[in-house]
Amino acid sequence: MPRCRLRFGLALCLAAAFVVLTFDSTVHAVMAQTPFGGPRPSGAEPQLGGIVGWLLAKQSEFYRQMSSTIRAAKSDGSAVWTLLAISFAYGIFHAAGPGHGKAVISSYLVANQETARRGIVLSFASALMQSLVAVVIVGICAWLLNATAKTMCSAETVVEIASYALIAAFGARLVWTKGGGFVRALQARQPTPALALAAHPHHDHAHGHDHSHAPFDPLHSHAQEAAHHAPADRPDRHGHDHGQEHGQEQGQEQGHVHDEHCGHCHGPVPSELGGAGGWRRGFSAIFAVGVRPCSGAILVLVFALAQGLFWAGVAATFVMGLGTAITVAAIAVVAVSAKDLARRLSGASEGGGTLVMRGIEFGAAGLVLLFGLGLLFGYVAAERVTCF
Amino acid sequence: MNAWMHRRLGLLLLAVALAFGAGAAQAHPHVWITASSELIYAPDGSITGVRHAWTFDDMFSTYALQGLETKTKGVYSREELAPLAQTNVESLKEFGFFTFAKADGKKAKFQEPVDYFLEYKDAALTLHFTLPLITPVRPRQLALEVFDPEFFIDFTYADKDPVRLVGAPAACQMKFQRPSDGAANAQQIGEQNFLSGGNSNFGAMFANKILVDCP
Repeated sequence: MPRCRLRFGLALCLAAAFVVLTFDSTVHAVMAQTPFGGPRPSGAEPQLGGIVGWLLAKQSEFYRQMSSTIRAAKSDGSAVWTLLAISFAYGIFHAAGPGHGKAVISSYLVANQETARRGIVLSFASALMQSLVAVVIVGICAWLLNATAKTMCSAETVVEIASYALIAAFGARLVWTKGGGFVRALQARQPTPALALAAHPHHDHAHGHDHSHAPFDPLHSHAQEAAHHAPADRPDRHGHDHGQEHGQEQGQEQGHVHDEHCGHCHGPVPSELGGAGGWRRGFSAIFAVGVRPCSGAILVLVFALAQGLFWAGVAATFVMGLGTAITVAAIAVVAVSAKDLARRLSGASEGGGTLVMRGIEFGAAGLVLLFGLGLLFGYVAAERVTCF
Repeated sequence: MNAWMHRRLGLLLLAVALAFGAGAAQAHPHVWITASSELIYAPDGSITGVRHAWTFDDMFSTYALQGLETKTKGVYSREELAPLAQTNVESLKEFGFFTFAKADGKKAKFQEPVDYFLEYKDAALTLHFTLPLITPVRPRQLALEVFDPEFFIDFTYADKDPVRLVGAPAACQMKFQRPSDGAANAQQIGEQNFLSGGNSNFGAMFANKILVDCP
C-alpha cells in the first residue's frame, strides 16, 4: 500500500509538472504579446524564458561545442572526457526534439498495457540500437568504403524509409488487435447501463451479474490469456474475489478500491515481463524505432573520423544514446502513469471503465499507425537527413 | 457516445495536439550557415535576383567533404568541388533555397540557380550561387527572408556586410533585421509555438529579414 501511494503521488507530480510546463509557456506567450496591448520592447527581453526555449538553447550550445572538443582531443587526450560529458548532456536535451521514437514508444506502451519498467527497458534498447546503426552506417560507408556524403545520405534515406514503413506496419497491427478489443468492449457495454444503475443500491447483486456475464464476454478470455492484464482489465472481477473473502469484515467501497490498486501495483513483475510474447512485440517496436539513426550522431561520427579519432566519435555516440534513453524513458513513464491515472479515474464508473481503457488503447494504436504514415509521407516533422 | 465520452475524446485530442506542438517546438539546428547576400539590380532599377554566399560550419563542411578524392590532401579546388556544388543546388531546390521574396506583398519566384560553386577555406565550405527572379520586379518595397522553416539549418548573417545592394537606384533604402540573439530567440519559439501548434512556419521566427524601399 505505501508503494501504491508513492506511485499515485508520482503520477500526480508528473501530471502537475506537465501542466506547469504548458502553463509556463502559455503565460509567457500572453505576456509577450500584451503588456499594454502593444508588443514588448525587444531590448528589454528578460533572461527567464520558457523552459522549452531554454532546452533549445542548451542543446544547440552542446552540439556546437562538440566539434571544437573533438579537435582539441587530437592534441589533448583529456578533452575526450569533456566530449563525453557534452555528448551525454546533449543526448538528454536532444531527445526532446522530433524523432527518437518518444511518441511511437509511448503510444505503443499505452496501447499494450505495458509496465513502466518495460517502457524503460524498451527506451534504452531502442536508443542503443540507434547508436549502433549510426556507428555501423558511418563505419561501413565512410571508414571502410570511403564513400561520399551523397552515398551515405542515400543509405540513410533508405534506412529512414524502412524505419517509417516498419512503424506504420507495426501500428497497423496494433490497430487491428486493439480495434478488436475496442469493438468487443463496445458490444459488452450495451447491457451495462441497466447494470450500472443496479450496481449502487445492491452491490453484491451487481457482482453476481458481472460474473454470470463473464463466460460470454470475449474480453474475459482475453484477460485470461494474458494473466497480468487481468487486474487492469476487470478491476471489478478482481475486487470480487477479495470481496467474497473479506466481504463481512469490510464491505465498504474503500476496501475495494485499495484492493484494485494494490493488485496492480504489486503485480507479478517478472511474469509480466515474460508474458504473452510481450518481449517479441516489444523488440519489433525497438527495431522499427531504433533502425533510424540520429542525424546529429552521423555528423559527429564523420567529423571524428576525419580528425582521425573515430573511436572518440563512437564513444560519444553511445554516451549520447544513453542520454537520449533517459529522456525517452522519462516520457514513456509519464505516458504509462497517465494511463494508470486514467484507469483509476474511469474505474470509478464501473462498466464504462473498460470501454474507456479499450478506447484509449485503440487510440494509442491508431497514433502509432498515424505516426508511421505521417513520417513516411512527410506530414510529421522528423529530423531531416543531412542530404545537401 | 454520451457527453462524457466526448469530453474524454476531447482530452485525448488535446494531448495529441500538444505532443505534436511540443515536438515541433523542440526542433533544433544541426547545420549552421553564416550567410551574406547581394541584391542585384538592372540598369533600369529593377531587381533581377539574389546572390548568396553561404559558409557552412566546420562539422557539416567535414561531413560534406567525406570521401571526396583530391590531388593534394586537404586542398580542394573549385573543379574538384564542382560535383558537390551541383548536389548542393539540386538538393536545395526542394527547400526553395530557403529564400523567400515578396514584391509589394506579392510573392516573387526564383528560377534555377546560376553561377554556383564551392570554395574551401579555413576548414569551411562556402557555397556561392545566384538566384535569378523569373521576372525582374521593380516594387516600392521588396521583402526578402532567409530561413529554414523547419529550423534544421540556422542562418546567421555575417557581421560585416551582411546584405549589399548592387547597382540599386540611389533613392533605395535597405533595412536588415536579424533574428535577435540565440537565447532570446529560442525563448520566443518555445512560447509562440505552444500557442500556434503547427510546425509549418516554425522557423519563420528565425528569419533574417531584408527590406528595400524604393520611393
